[in-house]
This record gives sequence, structure tokens and C-alpha cells, in this order.
Amino acid sequence: MTDIATQPEQSEKALFDYFKGSISDEIGYMREQKAAGRGIVGFYCEFTPRDLILAAGAMPICLCGTNKNTISHAETLLPANLCPMIKASFGYAVTGGCPLLNDSDLLVAETTCDGKKKMYEVLSRDHKMHVLELTQKPQQEVAFKHWLAEVEELKQTLEQTFDTTITEQKLRDAIKAMNAERRQILAIQQLGKHKPAIVSGLEIAQTRYRVAGFERHHKQMESFLSMAQRRLDEGYQAAPTNAPRILLTGCPTGQGTEKLIEIIEECGGLVVVQEACSGIKGVYEMVSEQGDPLEAIARKHFNIPCSCMTPNSKRETLLATLASEYQADAVIDLVWQACHTYNVESVLIHDFVRDELGLQYMKVETDYSDSDREQLKVRVQTLLELLQ
Amino acid sequence: MISCGIDIGSRTIKIALYDGSAVVDSMVTMSGSAPQQIAEECYQQLLNRNDLCSNGIAFTTATGYGRNYFSLADKASSEIICHSAGVAFLCPDAKTIIDIGGQDSKVMQLLDGGKVGDFAMNDRCAAGTGKFIEMVAQTLNIPVASTGALALSSNASCDISSMCAVFAESEVIGLLHKGIPAEVILRGIFDSVAKRVVSLGRKVGFRGPVVFTGGVAQNPGVVAAIQQQLIEHNIVTPNQPQLTGAIGAAIIGYRTAVARNSASASIGACQ
Ligand code: SF4
Ligand code: SF4
Repeated sequence: MTDIATQPEQSEKALFDYFKGSISDEIGYMREQKAAGRGIVGFYCEFTPRDLILAAGAMPICLCGTNKNTISHAETLLPANLCPMIKASFGYAVTGGCPLLNDSDLLVAETTCDGKKKMYEVLSRDHKMHVLELTQKPQQEVAFKHWLAEVEELKQTLEQTFDTTITEQKLRDAIKAMNAERRQILAIQQLGKHKPAIVSGLEIAQTRYRVAGFERHHKQMESFLSMAQRRLDEGYQAAPTNAPRILLTGCPTGQGTEKLIEIIEECGGLVVVQEACSGIKGVYEMVSEQGDPLEAIARKHFNIPCSCMTPNSKRETLLATLASEYQADAVIDLVWQACHTYNVESVLIHDFVRDELGLQYMKVETDYSDSDREQLKVRVQTLLELLQ
Repeated sequence: MISCGIDIGSRTIKIALYDGSAVVDSMVTMSGSAPQQIAEECYQQLLNRNDLCSNGIAFTTATGYGRNYFSLADKASSEIICHSAGVAFLCPDAKTIIDIGGQDSKVMQLLDGGKVGDFAMNDRCAAGTGKFIEMVAQTLNIPVASTGALALSSNASCDISSMCAVFAESEVIGLLHKGIPAEVILRGIFDSVAKRVVSLGRKVGFRGPVVFTGGVAQNPGVVAAIQQQLIEHNIVTPNQPQLTGAIGAAIIGYRTAVARNSASASIGACQ
């Protein structure tokens, strides 16, 4: 990581402006790399091992859709009653408006939820696609063996597509690089532990990025960390000391779909951590730097407590850890409309949070539109008032 | 010391004054197209007719959809909290509240002392709300106020299966074409509203006594339909069910003012 002491200090505003506009930087970087002959790999889910793509010398880009404007385009082909994330992702393909998708040489998909799985089939009519078959019983070693074989197959596809050999050394280097990146993201997530808060949940959410292994973004994340340190030294408070601390769980959010985080913080709460793929889910565990690197990569990703797993008891364990480490006062469970796995799992999460953690729980089922903002504010404000 | 609660809802504005033991005065008006302006006018009117100036109000709490925009409020509080406080005051042994307003329906569980234990609220769907009943009344060409009595005059009901207010309306039109009388359709509509709110409430659990509030609680047809769905409990409706939110807001504000020890500073009418 870069030595921050040697960097000129950046104003907070400039820093946040960078994050707000980072997509154009990422597009620029991607085009540059592509022009230089580097392979581009788009993917849609935290189960996709970025490490393996990096080891192939290619550039991993997360293409999860967070733009509500592409949804109506997706609905010309896909059913309207589908998770907004799937529709928004697919909408980019229909409009042809996403350079990151357009320039991808290969898409890596995965069999998580049924909506995505079938959407990928439609997408594969126009894009080269590799599908990882995700096994869903995390307790079974035989399920892991199958997943490992799937990861090996992806390795072969990458080698063929980019005419390269992924050596053990390349894997080890990629794991190191990705672990460093994961540690950096984790460090930002962990800023939420401070009480009183030095950064808000919305500020943390701004640091999200799409392109893995992008040096410029690493530097900005480093600046974010030093900004937080500065705030800490100066005794800055991002929220009143007694602001209710919310653990947000469930479906991932992204730039443009932070409605719920905004509402929680507008109503006086604080999102201290997200138990979601857009938060800590993908980075709280590193890839082991010991043993067989491919197996280590497969293992880390296999361990992600997504609701597509059954049973998904690791999510409960993670929730318990996060609730205590981040001193959460309540859990809010975000379910994107028509996401059946998170939606049904919420019954179990509700009981776990109430009975085992002894915390207030609230489920919010919504989509990317703003039409229910007022209604959500009533519910969130009630929850927050009950906590005070 | 007097405190004021104002409930700026999607359809009506309700306002109440509370002196620590009783509701001194109250008022209900339509929200219209400039709800904040109307709210301020109501506030002023209520003060005038009680010979108070704004200094005479120790604390003003706003609730309802317009709560965050009312500039004269000292605090905004969620309607769920306010309704519960209002009901706990009017019906001290209430354990569950069903509240159906213009655009949402809620069920709240009350703990001892009137605190909210848990609550459920409809999501982005108008079925089962006051607006829904209004739409049907309009389709049937019957004043909303008469729908209750009319529904109660029918022994038969019919099945309304649509979950969506707009489609329910076309279902109603279909039934009319089949020659089903309006009172039977209305019973069907009220039964479907009752089923929705009762299943919403099952999520938090019903404990008696169950109090029914909000504008829709004035409709005896809906009250009877809910009672039929919830035979295990006796449904109670307060006198002015629309006012509970405003009363609760005034009570919450009163407590805050007491806690702030501002009592001595703010007693008295206009100088
Ligand atoms: S929530 Fe599940 S399906 Fe969605 S990105 Fe995360 S791991 Fe993938
Ligand atoms: S949010 Fe749910 S439905 Fe949507 S892509 Fe993720 S797992 Fe699938």
C-alpha cells in the first residue's frame, strides 16, 4: 500500500467527489488496460473469485446493477416481478449503455438465485459466459469438492480465453493482492466500530468500487482511512453519541440504491455495519496464504453466508459477531422485492435477532424506486424512537 | 402548562391541546393541497379560540406524513408512537391497536405503560386502506359515510380476491355487471380489508382488548368485518378515533416538556 505520509492532503470534499465520480475513472482505466491488451472479466456476485481472474492477468469488474433507470428496459424482456438488481443488471445489456459490460471479454455467472441463473441464459445469447455451479449445502464436504471442481473449470476457461497459464505463483501473487484489497475494505468497514461514530454508514458506502486491483482506488481508500484518523484525532462526531446503531443485513446495496441507508441516517440512526455483500460479507474472511492456493480461493468463497445456501447458519454466527463488535442496537433486514431467498430467510433471522441477540428487528421489503420513502421513514423513525 | 399535538395526515389534519390530565380542545380539517399552510392556520385558530399565544404552548409535537415539515413543531414523532400514546391515554388497558388511515394500515402491540412493543405496517399497496374504500365507494356511486350502514344491511357477502386497489375496482365493476347488489359487494370489500389487516396483525400477535383507530374506524361496516375476523377479541373504538395521533403527540410533548423542567417558564396566556 502507498505511504500516505508522502501524499498531499486531500480535502474531504475532494475525496467524496472522487468516490461519487469513480465510475468514470474506472471506465477510463478499463479502456486503457483493454487497449494495452489486458483481458476484461465482468461478474455479478461475491462468489466469483476475483483472485483467479487477477491471476489470469485479466481485470475483474463487478457488474451488479444499481441503476433504476435501466429497469424499464429490462422489463421489455424479463418479468417485472423480479428482483430489481437482476433487472438493473440486465437492463445495461438491453440498453447497451454500460462500457464495462460492453468491453468485457468474458462474463462469469453463478447459479445463486433462480432469477439470476435464468437471466444469465438470456444474457449469454450476446455475451461469452462462464457459469459457476454453486453448491448449496455449506456443511457438506462433498459440496465443497464439487465447488472446487467448478473453480478449477473457471481456471481453465480463463486460461483458454486469455491464452495464458495460471501458475501457482500467479495464484499466490493474486491472493496477496486481493487480500490486501480485502483488508483495506475491511479496515474501512471497521471504522463503524467507533462509538461515538467518526464516519456515517452512507460515507462508508460511498467507498465501494467495481474494478478490483485498481491502484488509484486503493489510494483513495487509503485517504479515506487517514481522513477518519484525522477526524478521530480532532474529536469529530458523525452522529450524536446516543444515535441508535443499526446493523443492516440482507440484500446488497450499491451506488444509487442507498435509499434505506439514507432514510435510516436522515431519521437520526447510524448504519454501523452492513452484513451484506455490499458491506462486510465478502471481506471479513481472507483467502488463506498457506496450502494449495486454488483450494484456498475456493474455500473462502464457499464460506460466504448467502441466503442461497441451506442451511445458512453462518449468517447467524456472523450477525451475532457483528452485533456485539459494532455495538448494534437493532437489526434492519433489507430484502429486494422478489428476492425469495432473503425474503423467506427473514423469518429465521427475525427469530434469531429477537430471541438470541435480544435486539429489535425490522424487515424492509422494497425496490429501487422512491415511491415508498415516506412510508419507510415512518417505520424506521418508529423503530429508532423505540430504541431511545 | 399546555402542550399541542398536530397530526398532519395524507387526508386530514388533526390537532389537540393537552393540559396534563385532559384534552382541552381539538380540531379536524382536510389537508387540502397546501397541508403545511392549513396546518399552521389550524394551529393559530386553536390557539386563538383558547386565548393562547404560541408562548403559552410548552411544547408542540408533529406527527403524520407532514411531521418533518411543520416549522412550528419542537419535535417530530412517528405516528405509530403517537397513536399508541393516544390510545393508551383514551383506553388505558388496550393491548393491541389496529389503525387504518388514508393510505396505510398498521397494527401495534402495546406494552404495559403504553409503550409500543412491536408493530407491523402495510407495504406499498393501497388495498385495505381508507383510500381503497373511497375508491370503491366512488365506483359504486355511494357516499363513503353511507357505506357502513349499507354493508351492514346485507346478510350476504362476496369474495373480492384482488390484492391491488386498481384491480379490485375492476373486480367490483365486474360484480356489478353480474347483478350483485352494492351492499353485498361492500360487505365483500370490508371483509377483504378486514382479512388483510388481521393477517398483518397476526405477525405481531393480537392481545385483548383490541382498539381500532384511524379514520376508517368510523365506518361501522369495517368495524363489524374486523370483529368477525377476530372473534376471540372484543373490538373497541374510541369516540373520536381520528384524533388519537394528535392526542398522543400532545401527551408525548407534555412529558418531554415536564422532563425538560420547562414548566415554570412557559405557564400563562398572552401577556
Ligand atoms: S447476496 Fe448472494 S447472490 Fe447476491 S451477491 Fe451476495 S453472494 Fe451473490
Ligand atoms: S438480491 Fe436476491 S433475487 Fe436479487 S440477485 Fe441477489 S439473491 Fe438474487
